[in-house]
Amino acid sequence: MRSIVKGEVSQHTMKLQQLGAKVNVINSTLCYVHFDICGFILQYVYNINQKGNYFLERTKPYPLALQEIGTEKDVVKLIKSDMNKFKNALKCHHIDSFITIAREINSTYRIFEETFLNYNIPGEKVDKIHKKIQALSLEIEIIKDNAQILFEEETNT
Amino acid sequence: MEFNHLFIALLIFIITYAIIVSEKINRTSIALFGATMLLFTKVITQETAIEKIDFNTIGLLIGMMIIVNILRRTGIFGYLAIKAAKAVNGEPWKIIVVFSIFTAISSALLDNVTTILLIVPITLVITDTLESNPIPFVLPLILVSNIGGTATLIGDPPNIMIGSATGLGFVDFIVNLAPVIIVIFTVVIFFFRLKLKNSLSISEEKRADILAMDENLALKDITLLKKSGVVLFLTIVGFIMHQYFDFESATVALIGAALLLLVSKVDPEEVFLEIEWPTIFFFTALFILVGGLEAVGVIDFLAEKMLDITNGNIFWMVILVLWGSAIASAFLDNIPFVATMIPLIKSMEAMSTFSITPLWWALALGACLGGNGTLVGASANVIVSGMLEKHGNKLSFFKYMKVGFPIMIVSIMISTVYLIIFFI
Repeated sequence: MRSIVKGEVSQHTMKLQQLGAKVNVINSTLCYVHFDICGFILQYVYNINQKGNYFLERTKPYPLALQEIGTEKDVVKLIKSDMNKFKNALKCHHIDSFITIAREINSTYRIFEETFLNYNIPGEKVDKIHKKIQALSLEIEIIKDNAQILFEEETNT
Repeated sequence: MEFNHLFIALLIFIITYAIIVSEKINRTSIALFGATMLLFTKVITQETAIEKIDFNTIGLLIGMMIIVNILRRTGIFGYLAIKAAKAVNGEPWKIIVVFSIFTAISSALLDNVTTILLIVPITLVITDTLESNPIPFVLPLILVSNIGGTATLIGDPPNIMIGSATGLGFVDFIVNLAPVIIVIFTVVIFFFRLKLKNSLSISEEKRADILAMDENLALKDITLLKKSGVVLFLTIVGFIMHQYFDFESATVALIGAALLLLVSKVDPEEVFLEIEWPTIFFFTALFILVGGLEAVGVIDFLAEKMLDITNGNIFWMVILVLWGSAIASAFLDNIPFVATMIPLIKSMEAMSTFSITPLWWALALGACLGGNGTLVGASANVIVSGMLEKHGNKLSFFKYMKVGFPIMIVSIMISTVYLIIFFI
């Protein structure tokens, strides 16, 4: 099996090189982390390698690339902090709306990307979307400024 | 007590062998379990078990695995393959021929499984570019990798084991086996020429895509390539000279590996991760299992029987070993088969008054070429079948056998004639 995977990697590498890419293949371990908090599923995936950084990503309840992290200690710390926030958020009766909105933001982002990469969009439409996004961000900032703090924000998230 | 040991050793060996053949359990796991059961039942002591392990074979395998693992990081195989495909103007039949020559030579100088792991992914990229069915391109490569590997001491694990057990060296293998291998290779290429003559047409556009590929993009590390090239060259020179300087072949491979690790500055941990440890442990366990049979006298008994069957006639012995090994290796793993045959032939040597050297060549030709008979006959076949399946082109057991088995039979017929003319 390992031999077949090696063969597969060689094929991808050669095809990507012909596209002009520099491909660096390294051995690493992929870890899947699964929490079941009273039926609410929280999942993460992170990669450990010997070449430097650790890549952590939340996959459920909605995908979010969390960050590149320097040590495995920080991976556990970050997951713990994220999990505690979700545990607390589960007590709130808006949690379902929050998850729905987050998923819709993700889905809107995909539609936005597909639209701008696959179609020729006029400049005024781009400006219109940009202004709406800025207005939405501002509204979220205003809500945040007027709300009670539950957790201190981590500068690196 | 003696009878008990004989019975237990036979039982453990037969059960282990049957499970290896059935492929129901991982071959390394069951072989190690069988070997440790010989220790548990006190058929052999731990000291005897360690004595039975052929560290020359193990060292040669590990040394070559280290060298090849560093060499592959340079991208030289991709570079040479693209260059070759462009040199023949992207014409499919010519690509098959040059890739087959490259595979046969590379299998002889590295080993056939490693070569297949390097050349088949590149071939699949080429056939994707040509939008062609990869099977007509890959099938000849499987066959010639097993054929090319037969020509040298280091080309195929059975030869490594035979060389280590007998003291036959790199040059002995080339001198005695390379001539017949060149003939078999030529016949196989001619066979595919007839078979594929009218089925390999491609558009000018696809051919242009091959010519547009840039071989230089495949090269990853020129400095490492120079270092690896020099060390590989020195290692091959070492293999050629090892008998003159009274070095074991493993010593040469391990010196090459250590030198390359030192000068390449590649992280040894990364390299050691890529060594096929399950294969190494499989060999180790087999040496202990067969050593158990030797210790209780089974091998001597079988050798006597074989001499009786053939009336001590070298002609019939060669025929029996050659064809028996070929048929067995077509359906079974040839490594445990050869591991069992080696002490058997050695035992026959002790009981005979004439030279049994032709039997070693018969065993090498039978065990290595026999692997071409079916899809499960050799590791290279199994790996390529897995790669093709993952690529969406299933190569079925019977589809392979329709081509592989007749080629195996023809190869063994040629080998029979060769052995009769030159060795009997």
